[in-house]
Amino acid sequence: MVSMPNTISTPSAQPSASTRQKAKTRPFSSSALLGLIPIVLLLIAWELATRSGGYSSVLLPSPSAVAIVFVRDWSDLARHTGASVSRVIIGVSLAFLTATPLGLLIGRFPVLDRIMDWSVQIFRSFPIIALIPLAILFFGIGERPAIILIWIAAFWPLLISTIFGVKNVERTLMKAAKVANASNALILRDILLPSALPSILTGLRLSIGAGWLTVVTAEMMAVKSGLGYLIMYAQVIFRPDLIIAGILIIGAIGLMFDQCVRIARKRFCRWQEGLVQES
Amino acid sequence: MNFLSIRDVSKVYERRGVPMLAVDSVNLTVAHDELICLLGVSGCGKSTLLQMVAGLEDPTEGEVLIDGCLVSGQTHPEASVVFQEHGLFPWMTVFDNVAFNLKARGTRRDERQRIAAEFIDLVGLTGFETRYPHELSGGMRQRVGIARAMTTRPKLLLMDEPFGALDAQTRAVMQTELLRLLEIHPSAVLFVTHGVNEAILLADRVVIMSPRPGRIRKIMDIDLQRPRDPTSAEFTALVRAVLDEIHDDISFVAKQ
Repeated sequence: MVSMPNTISTPSAQPSASTRQKAKTRPFSSSALLGLIPIVLLLIAWELATRSGGYSSVLLPSPSAVAIVFVRDWSDLARHTGASVSRVIIGVSLAFLTATPLGLLIGRFPVLDRIMDWSVQIFRSFPIIALIPLAILFFGIGERPAIILIWIAAFWPLLISTIFGVKNVERTLMKAAKVANASNALILRDILLPSALPSILTGLRLSIGAGWLTVVTAEMMAVKSGLGYLIMYAQVIFRPDLIIAGILIIGAIGLMFDQCVRIARKRFCRWQEGLVQES
Repeated sequence: MNFLSIRDVSKVYERRGVPMLAVDSVNLTVAHDELICLLGVSGCGKSTLLQMVAGLEDPTEGEVLIDGCLVSGQTHPEASVVFQEHGLFPWMTVFDNVAFNLKARGTRRDERQRIAAEFIDLVGLTGFETRYPHELSGGMRQRVGIARAMTTRPKLLLMDEPFGALDAQTRAVMQTELLRLLEIHPSAVLFVTHGVNEAILLADRVVIMSPRPGRIRKIMDIDLQRPRDPTSAEFTALVRAVLDEIHDDISFVAKQ
């Protein structure tokens, strides 16, 4: 509990301090393990399904058979996972470095918003899969088309969330900045960026999700490595166990990315604790 | 000499295409060391008037002069504003909030830190520098707001119902605190309030405004000795006089 001098009584400061302590312990508490329940149930259902013999075990391998893949094909899985993850990190980073500044500017200057609004709505409607043929024509087979497709896929959620965050800045705060005669650069950096940061990080979660979906799709067509490629290749060589192993990794990494952004949010938005509900 | 002159200022707002006269030809002059309270029911244009003095709104007609300079589109460098609530940046610590106005002026970092520390000490918040606003009580938050406004050593403080959201006891403490700070750093003050007692407690002159359209109804000199006793006969007589003035407005607003 935070100690306060007696001269200034602060009833409102106490609940927020205790909220903070709770928030700190939550991710590591046993309640986090509740999230494993559906996964365990699914594993049991899967095991029962394979044992019932309704499906040929050649088509639907048992959990243990897939577990063996993780041991036996460990190095292949690691190599393809690494390829996919690094593409997503590069693509999403490019999206972050471009979409966030653009979003700050669009949110700050209504003229830019009017210029860009229709285009944003049009371009974000394109399914990335529809852009793959063009990307291959332009950039060939390899890293470049994959990374550029991820960049595009991750760009829109970040841009839209950033614009939303900037537009929702408390009006009094903009007045406070204006009466201080703050420059545009200072307003963007010290007011709008931190004010929009919770929204930007929500956008980042969506972006990483979109990037992760895109990398698998792109790798099925435009590159010869990565988890998407591995899954397609496993189908060709008739290895359903390898396909399932690949899918499990995709899901696990998706969860991991999401947790990383949540931790980042806790770290960078400490000022928000006690002000908003956690998502 | 008059430090602030408000000359024939009117403000028209468009609300759903219908023009509304929020402030109607207001004239007011404020001397260097004067504390003026703008008093009136909600909708009387007192906050709008303050926003125009702050440079946040431009008058539709008339002009605002601070130290002989026309206020237009931006805040006069000798003026500072204290907001009611939500005026602090929630992602900045107390220290960064207090130092912000100096940072916006391009004051050097070490200079900024020295002055911010001085004013944090002055408002009694030493030890709370690294706290975030949501960790403070309402009274402490307003202390931060006042400290931030004072760091630039303004000659005109514009206060927009700064204690309006506080509980009665904290408000009384903050009123005394404001007078103490003004003795250390004197300046002209334009203080918007809807509290009759607050206005009489603080002001050299109370400017009573009436709504629809926002006009000055009456200006009352408050010649009571400081510190003022709100329970004294002279004080309560003044309260009664002010209430008589705004009685019609209160019933008018209550009927809305």
